Amino acid sequence: MLSIIKLRVLRLREDYWIYLIMMIMAFGLTVIFGVSFDDYKPTVLIVDENKSSYSKNLTSELGRNEAFEFVESSWEDAVEQVREGKVLAAVLIEEGFETSVKAGDSVPLGMMRLKEDTLLLTLKQLLTTSASKMTGGVRIAEITADYIVANHPTADRDTVRDTAYHSVIEGWEYKNPISVASAIINTNAGSDYDSLKHSMIGFSLFFSMYTMVFGIGTILYDKQYRTWQRMMITPVSKASILGGSMIVTYFAGALQLGILVLAGKYLLDIDWGSSMAGILLVVAAFIFSTTAMGLLLSGLVKTQAQLSSITPVLLTSTSMLGGCMWPLDIVNNKILLFLAQLTPQKWAMQGMENIASKGMGFEAAVIPTLVLVAMGLIFSVAGVKLVKQV
Amino acid sequence: MLKVENLQKNFGNIMAVDGISFEVRKGEVFGLLGPNGAGKSTTISVLSTLLPPSDGVVLFEGKNIFEEPKAIQSKLGVVPQDIALYPTLSGYENLSFWGNLYGLTGRELKKRIEEVCEIIGLSERIKDRVDKYSGGMKRRLNIGAALLHMPELLIMDEPTVGIDPQSRNHILDTVLELNRQGMTIIYTSHYMEEVEYLCSRICIMDQGKIIAAGSKDELVEMISGKTEIALLLESMDQEIVKTVGSIKGIDSMVHQENQILIRCENADMILADIIASITASGNHLRSVDVKKPNLEAVFLHLTGKALRD
Repeated sequence: MLSIIKLRVLRLREDYWIYLIMMIMAFGLTVIFGVSFDDYKPTVLIVDENKSSYSKNLTSELGRNEAFEFVESSWEDAVEQVREGKVLAAVLIEEGFETSVKAGDSVPLGMMRLKEDTLLLTLKQLLTTSASKMTGGVRIAEITADYIVANHPTADRDTVRDTAYHSVIEGWEYKNPISVASAIINTNAGSDYDSLKHSMIGFSLFFSMYTMVFGIGTILYDKQYRTWQRMMITPVSKASILGGSMIVTYFAGALQLGILVLAGKYLLDIDWGSSMAGILLVVAAFIFSTTAMGLLLSGLVKTQAQLSSITPVLLTSTSMLGGCMWPLDIVNNKILLFLAQLTPQKWAMQGMENIASKGMGFEAAVIPTLVLVAMGLIFSVAGVKLVKQV
Repeated sequence: MLKVENLQKNFGNIMAVDGISFEVRKGEVFGLLGPNGAGKSTTISVLSTLLPPSDGVVLFEGKNIFEEPKAIQSKLGVVPQDIALYPTLSGYENLSFWGNLYGLTGRELKKRIEEVCEIIGLSERIKDRVDKYSGGMKRRLNIGAALLHMPELLIMDEPTVGIDPQSRNHILDTVLELNRQGMTIIYTSHYMEEVEYLCSRICIMDQGKIIAAGSKDELVEMISGKTEIALLLESMDQEIVKTVGSIKGIDSMVHQENQILIRCENADMILADIIASITASGNHLRSVDVKKPNLEAVFLHLTGKALRD
């Protein structure tokens, strides 16, 4: 087996650049997706043609929302920037806005945009909510002013109405009519979903799988160059040859994932949680299951070209299913969630995220590790059977 | 040393090796001769334990190699028909790897690599990558990888396919030298001259069967030492075949395209008649070749077709 290990290590020098590229891809995409999505706020311009206290209140109300960056603008600028796609949309507060609010009519708000988008649906919802809140507040303020002036004729109606309106708005601010009590049960969770960590874990697992599958797929290269058949007639057993090949692939995968974990920690300042041992245990089990999956694939196909064809399809689809690209929390479909259970990526993501993002301890690694080891054993046995002598 | 009894190997409905039996004696060069597709390589694959047989027994030093594969694997060297080397590794790294697989390490391995490099004549280029080698150099390294552990039995499957005459001669001389040192060799080829040159005993295979076996002299005796006359004509027609075939003294005759092959006891007696009859028919004779009996003639006699068909 040592001679096989030596051979595989020798041959790694031809493929070191693949490992390097896969690590750069994983790290680069983590930076792009993780960091960018965290800070990204689409810009929305506000064109205030009414210039009243009501329109200013609406602008101020919208500005409290953290999902969008609201910026006041002139009509001409807004048209130009929307046309050039520099902003998501522009909201137009038309001249009759104050009058409509006071009258309790539907408020005249316009929107300029280039195309429909899910973000625009959110923006429309936000505008409707804000406008309704304002209209309701104005109605309450008008009724209050009428009542006070009727009982105290000397009172200035406009002052009373403005004071009442601000009281209503402040009431929304500090005394929400509905309060939601929430508690996290039995997880010791310190934080919740973390886009950067998710990207780091997901992309690291995804890209490392390629090098592991192609690493063990080197037995197909042996078959192509007839060295496999030559090895089969030496006193070294097939199990030793496959075992040696798996060991080198395993350690190459471990090195790659280890570097990515450390790069995340020191270059992106990722906190891997309280149990590094748990993270490493899950990683170790994941590498085993992926290497064994590579062995199985190498047994199913006949040539390296076939392996190169099916691997991207298989790894991308299972990584999507397993939650490497996005959190499984947003998936509701029961079939997809069931299929996710069958992928090694799902269990590795679960184990690592529970420790790194949800503040769990070593215990969170146990079940995912056991599942990954079981998958690895099944893949290995099937792979050894399927890899033929000739 | 090696005894093959009623060996069969089929792939589905195709019978690649059909109940062959032969024996290889210690210290000899044993030849397996036959055209492409005769079943030689399949036989070699079974003898080297790469393929299990469909039926039959192979005994190596009295032990069944399929029950005890280790008994033969450590004493066997196989030179496959295809180059089985790592092209991106150096010649030295390749030899080192194959030596490792047979348990050679350290100084012993280094010493054997040096010796093998001398035998195959690659000492000066052994540190170069294999993909920089010529076809002949790759063939020689392919042989070298099978010699590192000093096998008792060396099986060479068409080791000279596709190489230049100089490398071919080097390989043939190497085979004879190894045999002189005591190595038993099974040599398969479809080149009749190589088998004639190297082998003390020969099996001729065709369509999975052994159609003749023995020493070269014994095989030639099968066609009664008859001489072969090869005639190449300008054109071929049935009339000329009929005319030549009627000449007395011809034992057998076959024709392919523009060639007529004749076997006879005494070529000198009938050659003039043959040429005269062809000339009289208006045909033109492009060449006449009179050959002493050889394995090609034996194969032709037994199968009615040439070895390189």
